[in-house]
Amino acid sequence: MEKSKIGNLKAGGIAIILCAIMILVSFSGCVQQQGTKPTIKNPTTYVRYDIGEPKTLDPAEAYDSASCENVFNIYDRLVSYKGNDTKTIHPSLATDWSVADDQLTWTFHLRQGVTFSNGDAFDANDVKYSFDRVLIVNSPDSGVSWILSQCMDLNSTTVIDPYTVQFKLTNTYGGFLALTAFSVASIVDQEYVEANGGVVADTDNTYLKENPIGTGPYMLDHWTHNSEIVLKQNPTYWGGWAGNHVETVVVKSADEASTRILALENGDADFAYIPYENLVDIRNKTGVLIFQAPSYDVVLGLFDTVSDNTIMADKNVRKAFSYAFDYQSAIDDAYSGNLYRLPGCIPKGMPYYETQNNGVPVYNFNLQQASEILNQSGYLRDYLFKGNYYRFNNTPIRIWYNSGNAERQKMALSFQQNLAKLGINSVVSTEGWPQYLQRMYHSVEWDFMFLGWMPDYNDPDDYIAPFVGSSAIGGDTFNTGWANATVDQEILKGKYNVDPTVRSNAYAAAFNIYINDPSLIYIGQNTYTRGMRDWLQGYSYNPVLEYYYYDYYKAYV
Amino acid sequence: MKTWEYIVRRLVLLIPVIIGVTIITFVVSHVIPADPARAFAGGPKAQPETIARIRAELHLDKPIWEQYFYYLNDLIHFNLGKSYLEDRPVTDALAQYFPATFELTIFAMLIAVPLGIAGGIISAIRQNKLSDHLTRIIAIVGYSLPIFWLALMLQYVFAYIFPIFPLEGRLSVGMAPPGPITGFFVIDSLFTGDGTALASSLHHLILPSFTLGFATLAIILRMTRSSMLEVMGTDYIRTARAKGLTERKVIYRHGLRNALIPTLTVTGLSFGGLLSGAVLTETIFNWPGMGRFAADSVLGLDFNSVMGFTLLVAVIYVVANLIVDLLYALVDPRVKLGGG
Repeated sequence: MEKSKIGNLKAGGIAIILCAIMILVSFSGCVQQQGTKPTIKNPTTYVRYDIGEPKTLDPAEAYDSASCENVFNIYDRLVSYKGNDTKTIHPSLATDWSVADDQLTWTFHLRQGVTFSNGDAFDANDVKYSFDRVLIVNSPDSGVSWILSQCMDLNSTTVIDPYTVQFKLTNTYGGFLALTAFSVASIVDQEYVEANGGVVADTDNTYLKENPIGTGPYMLDHWTHNSEIVLKQNPTYWGGWAGNHVETVVVKSADEASTRILALENGDADFAYIPYENLVDIRNKTGVLIFQAPSYDVVLGLFDTVSDNTIMADKNVRKAFSYAFDYQSAIDDAYSGNLYRLPGCIPKGMPYYETQNNGVPVYNFNLQQASEILNQSGYLRDYLFKGNYYRFNNTPIRIWYNSGNAERQKMALSFQQNLAKLGINSVVSTEGWPQYLQRMYHSVEWDFMFLGWMPDYNDPDDYIAPFVGSSAIGGDTFNTGWANATVDQEILKGKYNVDPTVRSNAYAAAFNIYINDPSLIYIGQNTYTRGMRDWLQGYSYNPVLEYYYYDYYKAYV
Repeated sequence: MKTWEYIVRRLVLLIPVIIGVTIITFVVSHVIPADPARAFAGGPKAQPETIARIRAELHLDKPIWEQYFYYLNDLIHFNLGKSYLEDRPVTDALAQYFPATFELTIFAMLIAVPLGIAGGIISAIRQNKLSDHLTRIIAIVGYSLPIFWLALMLQYVFAYIFPIFPLEGRLSVGMAPPGPITGFFVIDSLFTGDGTALASSLHHLILPSFTLGFATLAIILRMTRSSMLEVMGTDYIRTARAKGLTERKVIYRHGLRNALIPTLTVTGLSFGGLLSGAVLTETIFNWPGMGRFAADSVLGLDFNSVMGFTLLVAVIYVVANLIVDLLYALVDPRVKLGGG
């Protein structure tokens, strides 16, 4: 008995000591390191910890951002962007280009002496082959070929001589040059592709998915699915390797935020995706910087104008709701300040942004104005329920967000509270992404949803047409059911014209109509936010070309 | 019944188990109102032709019983279909992820089983002594610590504060996997004579396998302890002692052998559980294994991947139980296979 008591006491003592050690260890991380800068880890290797992973490395199939970023670095295109400049298109495999007066015929002169990373020479035949291949393959898995088929067919590309190629568009298209800078317009090696599966109509090339060969600065070393993709310098790169460039690029797929944070803090990662709510964890940490810039990723609220309760069919209701949305709360509370207001369809940084009331949002949070619009439209607080008066006969407005999206959850709850102040009953619900899409596209049992949109290429047609174009012109991407014939006309005018003035007037005219009959709430433009080590140099954010590793190197400056 | 007859009979029983598992998983995953075809095709950016093609491939426009028939037909032909989230055949994905998880599980069990049994024996034969209290504390901690917390703390202490072990992954930054021969990096690096890869893969295994094995260690420890205590109090142990056998022989030849039966059961079930349920460990340590694959597939309603994973896990459970039953007979000669 006595021995047992002594044993228990000893065990208790040990348990206390263990707890004390754990507490000490927990607090030890709070001590900031002082003094000299830490040694640069893996000095010739750029390591990024991110979420998601590529689906393919074939430019004829790549459409998701993780796939496209690798294609951008392994392959080249005729033209490209540089640094963070989204306005200027620079030469790449093309040295110069011109467009004929008919606005249909584009002639590109090609760079000479370029080889693919396997040593094959590059010439105009590869260009024709690459563009035609995209149209023939017509990627069944991603459908990305639509970007080229907007204005091209198999007769469009002609080889004039080994270093001159001409495109005869099927119709004029204002965004043509911008789309030739997108990953789908990357140039592949004809000989290599033909030797490895060739081109089969409506069929993706399974070999090219994981075995890319391009003229770009980097080439694939290995790709371990759901783990990492590793690129090495292409020794034959036409741009040369003089100056500072990383030799190896490692992009790790790390789903857990705490792992990415620790990797960044201990220097394993040079660059990492850090969610907004975790920025506080890396702020003021030695050697760690927070990089922020406006992105082209926009956040929208969608009205279902054809929902079964018909409430959103009335444009005045949608206008009132646009005033009832607390934009500043979305910026401050949901996005922790990492959101810019969005005045209309076109994000800041993209051409023709200014056509939207010079970038000044038309709707601001104003419950008084929302209430007046509803009252004037006959939607009075006239339904008594449990001592409160409600509008719309107390019919609940169904607000949805996709599960796991904390920002949208906060916005939904805030919106619900503000609607309640107006006497509008609402319910906030969530579901997984496939179920969410089912609701959006195959059901009329929703009134309001949150969604985002990312760019394909740097032209406003990639935003305005899917957002407010009707289904008749291939728009209404969010299935809101909204349509306006004049807006459609203006969108098509902007799309099929290369004259900046004509395009500008068209987009301004469209804006003046759709903003007064809103089918969407234009909430904001995400701040692109990443954590990075202070030793990473040469990084700049371009919303079109998110990562261009050739510019990167590691050093203290 | 001969051993091989017993094995064959148990393996034949796999067929109804697989059919049952496919029916349940298929129905549960397909009755949820969802639009996986559009999700796979790119969500709002999906092109109508792509959505239509995926719907046709998955037979989503057909009644559910007909969809199941198509699935079963493919399964008979050893075709698990395509993983739409990964854009490659499910068999390719499983061929990559299964060895990763299996390797992790083997190392977790290598930590859990010997330490658990040894701890259990020590705890039992030194009941109410300091070592008993210590091992019981370890067992309670192992039981009660959430696995994600343990993983995060181990990362924080041993990869960040004291950077002794790597933070995550299976190999050092940028190192190409050895092989590919088996997908087990330790074995492949031995086959290829790649000492650097071997050292790196072993180094990377320590933290995640300890995390994964710690809870199992606790269970085995408790089970061995209670079983040993029960056995050590029986008449035949007293008889063995009365015969003048050394305490070592009494414990290991008479006590442990009989006490191991329940421990074996727990070990077998834990092995199956670790193989299928390592999602948290794999996510935190960025281990490209089946747990992460399964979780992503379930969330993304990637039917084929969910079905493929579930089938594999069902087979693993049946095989693990079969091995445990065979071991029963090995450990305890009184146990007759097949009840004969």
